[in-house]
Formats: sequence, structure tokens, C-alpha cells
Amino acid sequence: MSSVRVNPYPMPDLLTALDNLLQQQQTATLELASGSRINKPSDDPAGAAQMAQINDLSSQMDSYQQSIGSVNEVLSTADATLNSVGTALQRAISLGVEGANGTLSDADRAAIANEVNGIQAQLLSLANTAYRGQYLFAGTADQQPFVLDPTASSGVRYDGSQGVNQVTIGSGYQVQVNLPGSQIFNGAGADVFQAVHDLITALNTNSGIGEAVTEVSNSYSYLSAQRVFYGNAMNQLQTQQTSLGTEKVNLSQQVNAVSGADMAAVSTNLANDQTAMTATLTAMGRIPQGSLFDYLK
Amino acid sequence: MSSLFGTMSIATGALAAEQGALEATTNNVANVNTPGYSRLEPILVSNDPVVVGPLTYGTGVSLEKLESVRDPILQRRIEEETQDQGQLNAFVSAMQQAQVPFTASSGDIGTAMSQFFSSLDQLSTDPTNLALRQGVLTAAGNLTSVFNNTANNLSQQRSDLDLSVAQDVTQVNVLSAQIAKLNTEISQLQGVNQDASALMDQRDVLIGQLSNLIQVSSIQSDNGLTLTTANGTPLVVGGQSFALSTQANSDGLHDIYSQGTDITSQLSSGELAGLIQVRDQKIPGILSNLDTLAAGLANALNTANQSGFDLNGKAGGNLFVAPPANGHGAASSMALQVSDPSLIAASSDGTPASNGNLANLSAVHDQAVAGNQTPTDYYSNLVFEVGNDVSNGSAELSASQVILNQLQDQRGAISGVSLDEEAAHMVQYQRAFDAAAQVVSAINNLLYTVINMGVLTG
Repeated sequence: MSSVRVNPYPMPDLLTALDNLLQQQQTATLELASGSRINKPSDDPAGAAQMAQINDLSSQMDSYQQSIGSVNEVLSTADATLNSVGTALQRAISLGVEGANGTLSDADRAAIANEVNGIQAQLLSLANTAYRGQYLFAGTADQQPFVLDPTASSGVRYDGSQGVNQVTIGSGYQVQVNLPGSQIFNGAGADVFQAVHDLITALNTNSGIGEAVTEVSNSYSYLSAQRVFYGNAMNQLQTQQTSLGTEKVNLSQQVNAVSGADMAAVSTNLANDQTAMTATLTAMGRIPQGSLFDYLK
Repeated sequence: MSSLFGTMSIATGALAAEQGALEATTNNVANVNTPGYSRLEPILVSNDPVVVGPLTYGTGVSLEKLESVRDPILQRRIEEETQDQGQLNAFVSAMQQAQVPFTASSGDIGTAMSQFFSSLDQLSTDPTNLALRQGVLTAAGNLTSVFNNTANNLSQQRSDLDLSVAQDVTQVNVLSAQIAKLNTEISQLQGVNQDASALMDQRDVLIGQLSNLIQVSSIQSDNGLTLTTANGTPLVVGGQSFALSTQANSDGLHDIYSQGTDITSQLSSGELAGLIQVRDQKIPGILSNLDTLAAGLANALNTANQSGFDLNGKAGGNLFVAPPANGHGAASSMALQVSDPSLIAASSDGTPASNGNLANLSAVHDQAVAGNQTPTDYYSNLVFEVGNDVSNGSAELSASQVILNQLQDQRGAISGVSLDEEAAHMVQYQRAFDAAAQVVSAINNLLYTVINMGVLTG
């Protein structure tokens, strides 16, 4: 007689099976809770490495978007400021035209000159506008860019720098975020302060008012041309903001593809594991408690 | 020719043999839950016949021996697999701890690097803003502490592993001594032809425990059992055991010596091998990668900061304390050089509100600063390698577990005690005993008859 002997102790095997099932259930529960199938690098080493890259990229996107927000505030403030400058210059022009009227008395012209003087002061204040402590038209200098200086022909001296700043708003995508104040206000033959200063002098002396008005008008055109820079920059930011939004959506889809847990599959597996667990436990319970000894009398 | 007394002695011999066989069954039943016990099988042999003229008479049965049923080759396979499993188990559980700092979270190196570069971006929108400058310093300080913590954490794990190595060596020595003692007892018993199977079972259990700890090869020779470890150095030769010793190496870690030879790096299986692999190769490897990354990053950012001007218009200096020239310990010692936010060299021309040099600092994000890779690429490779070690180790461990289970099943099938079988044997031996007793009784009757033949029944 020969028969195949089987291991009379199946317990260790069943215990190993139980251990494995418990581990699988734990992993599945963690995946369901976190919604991610990569909860530690060993869950998917290549995926975890990819996630490190994606997380960095995503942080960059957030950072670019934040930069765009900050820069946009500065740019729109600058643009609004230049708009006010334009309005002030237009007012100066109409005052100049009014002053050129030969029927005006000296006193009337003096009054007009006085008002233009006020405009000059307003212009100076606008050119020195700061946003959150940052002078908008100081180039890269950190001080009040336009100061009164009796020695200068226009009575105003530029103390800012010629530097410009660029801010990164995308991978390898930089946008210039300022113009030096001198480029806006001190254009060759179109110096705002010089023109208004000349207008005041002309009004006070009642000579060359027409030429002075033309000069102010030129400086206004020049300033308007410079102002386009801010509009363009804001447009660029707007476009980039939109495309960053799209990129972020793509990125989150990528995150999902790389690390997203397949909820349906995980729940199904979890249910299967639980069934298997019950079955194993039942099997363990059914292991014969007795033996042939019980039946021998 | 046969005699009634001869027949009687056959029957009594049978009684003794069946009783002995029952003893084997009893012992098997008693040891049904003893780990490593190999069941006993009674070897019954028929006695040499007596030839008288043309007739051959059987002379009954005797119990030759109680043989313990074991498969030495299977036992060796189990030991080998146990060694593999010991190594994998130690390796995987150590690496599982080592991968923790590399798990994507708010506190990992990758996030800290991203946050630092983000803070530079923010500063570029308003370079004179002290709050934003402080933001950059805070992010940089956070980066250094994450590097410090990760490196220190790994070093701590290394020391913990070293402690386990020392403990395992002590354990190995205890087991070797016990095995040597059993060897002596076994050879004494065998010397007088006695059954040593119980001791051999005990020894197998101890060898199993030893195998879990250290790579062991066993050789059975006339002089008893010899156990050698890596490099062929002996742990046990017959009744003598050779203790392993430990000696602190230049890193302050325990090297393992067997009779004066350093076998630390020669162990390829057993728990010790797994511990040593992580302690001496994996963690130092990760640490060295972290050092490369920390040093590369600090140097590149320092260089970038030096190329610009700070808020006071002075040429920029080091942002981080210059890492050691050989990079060794760069991660654990990474520290900020500056604490004054105005010293961040944002300006490219000395004008305070210039942000031109921030672009140079930000550009480090895409520079090959470590191992010809960008910081993020280098870091994500590191994540991959650490994760891969755990993942591969775990897969091997599961496979090894399956093999070991199968081997143990096989061992159980050969050597394990089945109560059903023992019950059947018991009945069998009991009936044989009953039958032999009947024979004795019958012969007794015959003898009675013969004895009374000469008595007149008048």
C-alpha cells in the first residue's frame, strides 16, 4: 500500500494567506481613502518618480499664476496712472489753447498759468506713484524717481534708473514688467515736464503759447505711445493665465493617469479580498477538530 | 524442529514488538504539536528463520528500531530558503523605513525645492519687498532643514540597523553553542547505537533559527555536523562552536569577524546580510546621493547669488554655507549663510529694485547641478531607486515565502504527525498485540494438554 501523504498541518499556509489578504485590504483601504494608488515610492517606483516631477511642475504653474496676479496689479496701476497723466495733459492742452486766446487779460492768463502749475504738480505726483511701496516709474531704483530740481531746465530731475525688470510667467517665458520713468516722461522732444514747464512760462510771458501747446500735445502723443507697452504686457499676462489654466488641467489629468486609484477596481478588489478572507476563515474553522481517535471505542 | 516453547517465544516476541510499535505511536501523538518533530516509524523485521531438515521455521518478529522519518535534503533546502527569506525580510523592512522621507508629502525634499523656487518667482514681482525676501529665506531655511532631517533620519536608521547587527551576532553565537552541545550529545548517543532523533529534531529547529539570521552551510560527516558560514569559516564543528565577534570600523559600525577574518561583506543571505546590505550599501548610497544634490544645489545657488547685488547694492555672497569640498555630509550639514533678507542678491546691476539676478537664481531649477541632472530630475531618480528597491525586495520576499511554504508543506507531508494515521496504527498494533496474546494463550493450552498427557486421570 502506498498513498500520497499530505501535510497534516495546513495552518501555516492558511495563516500566510490571511496575512496576504489583510495586507491587500490595507493597501486597498489606503488607496480608497487617499484616492491615489501611490502612497509610498514602492507602490509604483516609476510612477512615484513621475509624480515628483509633476508635483514640481504643478508648483511652478501655481507660482507663475501667482506672479501673473501680482504683476497684473502693478501693470494695471501703472496703466491707470498713465491714463490720469494723459487726462492731466489734455487738460493742460485745453488750458493752453484757452490761454492762447488774445482777448484774455494778463490776470486771466496768470490764473490759467496757475492752474497749469497745479497740473505740473499733479503730474509730478503721478510720476512718483508707488504701488505697495514700489515706485512704478523708477526703473529698477528704489527711490522717488522724479524730484524737483531748480537747476534742471524743466524744474524736474529723473532720479530713477534705466533698468527694466522681467518676470517669468511660463517655462522660459519672461515678460518685461516696467519701463523706466525717463522713457515715459522724458522722451526726446517730448518731455512731459519740460512741455508743461514751457507752457507755464509761455502763459506767464504771453509768448509762444501756441508752440508750447504743440509741445505738450507732442509729449501727450509720445506718452500715449509708451502706454501701449502696459496694455500689451497685460494682454500677454491674460493670454498666459488662460494657457496656464489649460496646462494645469492637463497636469491634473496626468496626475490622475499616473497615480489616481481606479476606485471601481479597488472597491471590487477590496470586496473580493473580504470574501476571500471570509472563505479562508471558514476553511480554518472547518479544519477537522477531531481525528480517527474520536471514533475508536 | 519446532517446539511449543519456541512457538511461545515467537508469540512473546511479537507482544514485545507490537508494544514497541505502540510506543512509537504514543510518542508521535504526544509530539503532534512539537515544532520540528519528525514522526517515528517502527521498523519491524522478521527474525532469521531456522532450517531444520527440509523445513524452514520462522522465528517471529522483532522491532529493529524506531526510525524518525526525515528528508535531510529537504531540510537543507528549507534552511537555504530560510536564509534567503531572512535576508529579504530584513532588507525590505529596513528599506520600507528608508523610503518614508521620500514619500510625496508637504515635508519632502521635492516639495521644499519647489517651494524655494516659487518664493524666488514671487520675489521677482517685487524685489524690494522685505516680506517676499523673508519668504525666500524661510523657504531656503526650510530646504536646509528638510535635507538635514532626511539625512539625519537615514543616519539614525543606520545606527538602529547596526544595533540589530550586534544583537543578531550575539544570537548567532548562542545558537552555535547550543548546536555544538547537541552535536556532542547526538554523537554520544549514536556512539552507543542509540536513537538520537529527538535531539536531531531539536538541532534542525536551531539550525532553522540560525539560518534565519546568517548564511549557513551544513556538512554531515562521520565526525558530526559542521556548520560553516560565508567564506567557509566554521561556526560549529562537531562539538565545538566558534563565536563570531564584532569590531567597530571607521564609521563606528560593527564589522563581523569569524576567527579573525572580516566576513561582513561576504554574507549574502540571512537576516544579517539584509541588515548589512541596507546599512553598508543602500543607506550610504542614498546619503551620498542626497549629499550630491545638496552640495550641487547650494553651490549653484551660491554662485548665482554671487553674480548679483543685494538690496544695499553690494555684490552678493553665499546664500548657503559653502558645502564641504568633497560633498561628504553636505545634506546633513546644509545651512543658511545669511539671515538678513536684504542680502539676497536680486539685482543684476546694483539698483535695489532690479530683479535681474533672480532669473539666475531661478535658472538653477533647470541647471544640471547634480550628476548632470536638474535638481528635480535627480531627486525623482532617487525616489525611483528607493521605491524600486522596496518594490523588488517585496516581490522577491513574496516569492520566497511561497517557496518556503511549499517546502514546509513537503516536510509536513513527510515528517509531520497525522493523528488519523496514528490512530489507525494504534488499532493495527493493538489488534496484533491482542492476536499475539491469543497465541500465547493457545500455546498455553497446548502446553497444558502436553503437561497433563502423563497424568492419569483415573
